Amino acid sequence: MWVKPLDLSSAGNAAGAADLPHKPDLVFIFGPVDEIAQSPALRQLMELYPDAVQIGCSTGTSIQQTRLADEGLSALAIGFANTKVRLYVEPLADIAESAATGAMLGGRLKADDLAGTFVLSHGLGVNGSALVHGLQSILGEDAMISGGLAGDGARFEQTLVAVNGAPVSGVVAALGFYGDAIRFAHGSAGGWDEFGPKRRITRSEGSVLFELDGKPALDLYESYLGDDAAGLPASGLLFPLKIWNDANPADQFVRTILAIDHDAKSITLAGDIPEGWSARLMRGSFDHLIQGASEAAQHACETFSADGIRPELCLFVSCVGRRLLMGQMTEDEVEAVADVIGRDVPILGYYSYGEIAPQNATKLCGLHNQTVTLTLLAEAA
Amino acid sequence: MTENARLPQLLSRQVEKATTPDKGLDIHRLLDLVSAAYEDHERDRRRTDRANALMAEELEDALSAIELQNIRFKAALDNMPQGLCLFDRRGKMAVCNPRFQAMYDIPDADCRPGNSLAQLLGASRALTTASEIERRMLISEHVQMGEGTTSTLEQNWPDGRKIVIQRTGIADGGYLDTIADVTESRKATAQIAHLARHDALTSLPNRVLLRERMQEIVRNAQRGDQCAIMCLDLDRFKLVNDTLGHPIGDALLVMVAERLKAELRSNDVVARLGGDEFAIIQQHVRNIAEPGKLASRIIKSISKPYVIEGHKIQIGTSIGIEVVFVNNLDSDLALRNADMALYDAKTHGRGTYRLYSSEMHDVATQRRLLENDLRDAFAKNQFIVHYQPQYDTNQNDIIGFEALVRWEHPVRGRIPPNQFIPVCEEMGLIDELGKIVLKTACTDAGGWPDHIGIAVNLSPVQFRSRNLPTLIREAVEAAGLSPNRLELEITESVMLEDFTAVLDQLRSIKRLGCQVSLDDFGTGYSSLSYIRHFPFDRIKIDQSFVRDLADTSDSLAIIRAVVGLCGSLNIKSTAEGVETLQQLEILCREQCDSVQGYLFSEPIPLKQTYELLDIPVRRKGRKAAA
Repeated sequence: MWVKPLDLSSAGNAAGAADLPHKPDLVFIFGPVDEIAQSPALRQLMELYPDAVQIGCSTGTSIQQTRLADEGLSALAIGFANTKVRLYVEPLADIAESAATGAMLGGRLKADDLAGTFVLSHGLGVNGSALVHGLQSILGEDAMISGGLAGDGARFEQTLVAVNGAPVSGVVAALGFYGDAIRFAHGSAGGWDEFGPKRRITRSEGSVLFELDGKPALDLYESYLGDDAAGLPASGLLFPLKIWNDANPADQFVRTILAIDHDAKSITLAGDIPEGWSARLMRGSFDHLIQGASEAAQHACETFSADGIRPELCLFVSCVGRRLLMGQMTEDEVEAVADVIGRDVPILGYYSYGEIAPQNATKLCGLHNQTVTLTLLAEAA
Repeated sequence: MTENARLPQLLSRQVEKATTPDKGLDIHRLLDLVSAAYEDHERDRRRTDRANALMAEELEDALSAIELQNIRFKAALDNMPQGLCLFDRRGKMAVCNPRFQAMYDIPDADCRPGNSLAQLLGASRALTTASEIERRMLISEHVQMGEGTTSTLEQNWPDGRKIVIQRTGIADGGYLDTIADVTESRKATAQIAHLARHDALTSLPNRVLLRERMQEIVRNAQRGDQCAIMCLDLDRFKLVNDTLGHPIGDALLVMVAERLKAELRSNDVVARLGGDEFAIIQQHVRNIAEPGKLASRIIKSISKPYVIEGHKIQIGTSIGIEVVFVNNLDSDLALRNADMALYDAKTHGRGTYRLYSSEMHDVATQRRLLENDLRDAFAKNQFIVHYQPQYDTNQNDIIGFEALVRWEHPVRGRIPPNQFIPVCEEMGLIDELGKIVLKTACTDAGGWPDHIGIAVNLSPVQFRSRNLPTLIREAVEAAGLSPNRLELEITESVMLEDFTAVLDQLRSIKRLGCQVSLDDFGTGYSSLSYIRHFPFDRIKIDQSFVRDLADTSDSLAIIRAVVGLCGSLNIKSTAEGVETLQQLEILCREQCDSVQGYLFSEPIPLKQTYELLDIPVRRKGRKAAA
């Protein structure tokens, strides 16, 4: 397996990508919505490497090595020795179809030699939890699934998935890795701190939260955000919500805001928010968030080092909320990851509207919010 | 790495970003980046401050809410009627309410959080009046209550209180005791249970408890055991109620109950069945004579005078007795048989007892049939009125008729008055019958010549209703009869009832202009005081004296005395039951004013009275003809 970052710094010019030792099997590409939508680079890369599978999505900030970019495309090419990759795409027109779309993709991915899946989904109008459950319903609960939802910075207006040179809206793309050579390791961590009183989810439907302790959830957010409330829903990411089931405290998730409804005084989160569960606001301090990223990397590395494997690629999906909060300090979380996994390991990724990875403790895959989730890849000799 | 340590890293990135492709430093770009980083931090600080302030506010609110809740809980605890004490998992008191302390009367110094239940109870002054052993037992059974789930303990405290202690385990391993004083509620429950089985007035067992006792006796019966079931009711009790009022009647019943109890052994049972009806179970009866002896004692005891609020009251009792083997005791049947025997006792003169025999059953059946037929008779107008003429011995002519009621039974034929009038009286139908006779007689008399009178008998029972004078006035007016043609016959027994009230009614009747005569004179008390107290217009000499006139000199003497008395007091005299010419001659000689009897005519239908009124005296006597 070889990995080569592609230099697409000159807009609309994929020339820098032409200098590759071999023809790649897979190309990842991330960038702002308008670049994904309009840059000729996507098409040019397909022309250059027609046999390679190309996958990517829109984002407010992309990650390449330890540098963040709010502009331009970040891309990377991969060649495998003994691994096949196949890309499947399904439309997702309605949020209610999320689980069905996941199941549909699961059905297409399913094969005896399926080793792992990397999913990039439309970032708005999707129930990420349901999508993952749909995939698991076919592939099994312990299937290796990671990825994320496409992003749009703080705008929350439009997201795109890049599929083989074409920018597409309202789809879910799933990349299947086949063969017994490919190795995966995952790490996921938040680093957010809980604060304030414990609250009870007194009214919710699916991923829409209406009331906490009998009061409108939106009122609570607006009062905590103050002037930042004008920036909702993006500014809601500054205060993610930890939710858990008192009856089974292992059931806990961090949920991030995707949309708000002033009339219903409700907020829509990136995953289910079951009525009767408990909730507590969270906030980030730079130190702890960076520490969280470091822990995610450590967890992922532990899996590999136990088997004596060195990571050959790190796919880095982090939450847009972290980016919004940390500003210029955000790069520190990438640096922290690089410090753990090794500075020579290629890193590519983006800031998302939702992260998909197995839970550290349970290995069960799920949708996360406000986290850093890392997917480490290596190919056995 | 701390935030400060990270700053050079940030600065180096900023310098890197501000470095131009020709390796020059774009100072404006660098300043922008540095300034933006400061802004990032400033924004984050403001956000943190705001969040902290809001969080403090929220926690403050939550605290206030908890304090308010505490105030409410305290108010609820302080005012709940039960004592409450909460213990932690080590068995130490966490909190108790004032009621708990008050119920156990624990001194303030000993009622402190941290004390164990044993310490608290040990300090209780409510338990110290008990003997030491009892006190320790009360404490120990409370302390040792189960703590797992809910358990309940009931205690009788030395001061008489009944206490229910309930213990409930709570989630943190401690437990909660609630202590309720149920003394009053237990009393009320017992009272209700007592009321359901006892007569409220006399506190004697009622019919329900009587039946239970009978069942109990049957359960505990030994082979060959006999018992007597007695039914009794009070003679003339209704009169006491009617004349002296219910409060006196009630007081009398209480005294009767006391006297009954006094005559019984401890294992006998007396119950009040309602009104003036009582029942007695006499247990372990060895022979048939025993119940009789008891009944005699009871009759004697009940018949002794009572003095209530200054009134001297005399009543009697009749008793029916059924003696049965306990193994065969059927409570309903035994009571029914005793009741039949009671009825038999009452019809045989009251103030006596009767043992049940199977013939009584037949009599009762006959009686029931008669009662049914009587009700029918009223509905179907089967009563008719016949008239027996009365003759003036001086004028040798009819001066009036006595109205006599007849029952024409469609199957049994004519039934004599002495068979159905007492039944009517007992059934409360006598007023109705009296009204029929009075109205018919007045109407019929309206068709006779003005000098012909009509005599109508009044039953003592009719005097109990206060409107008898009104009834008479209405009958006379309706018939257009001159009141002085109507003569009302009463017997001495009327005077035996409430003398004053009867006298008032008789005077009212007199004021109407009617005549009043004393019937059957000589058979009862023949008290001359009645004659002195009321100006009777006529005295009717009982037929028994007339019947014996020819045979005994006593009868003649009596008739002579009565006639003489009447003459002196200016009261008319009439001899009844004249059947022979010899009797008539004697009566004429003794100057008896008038006569009636079969010698002249049996009672006849109205139609025949018209014929009779034109016919001379002696030729009409049927007996004479025979």
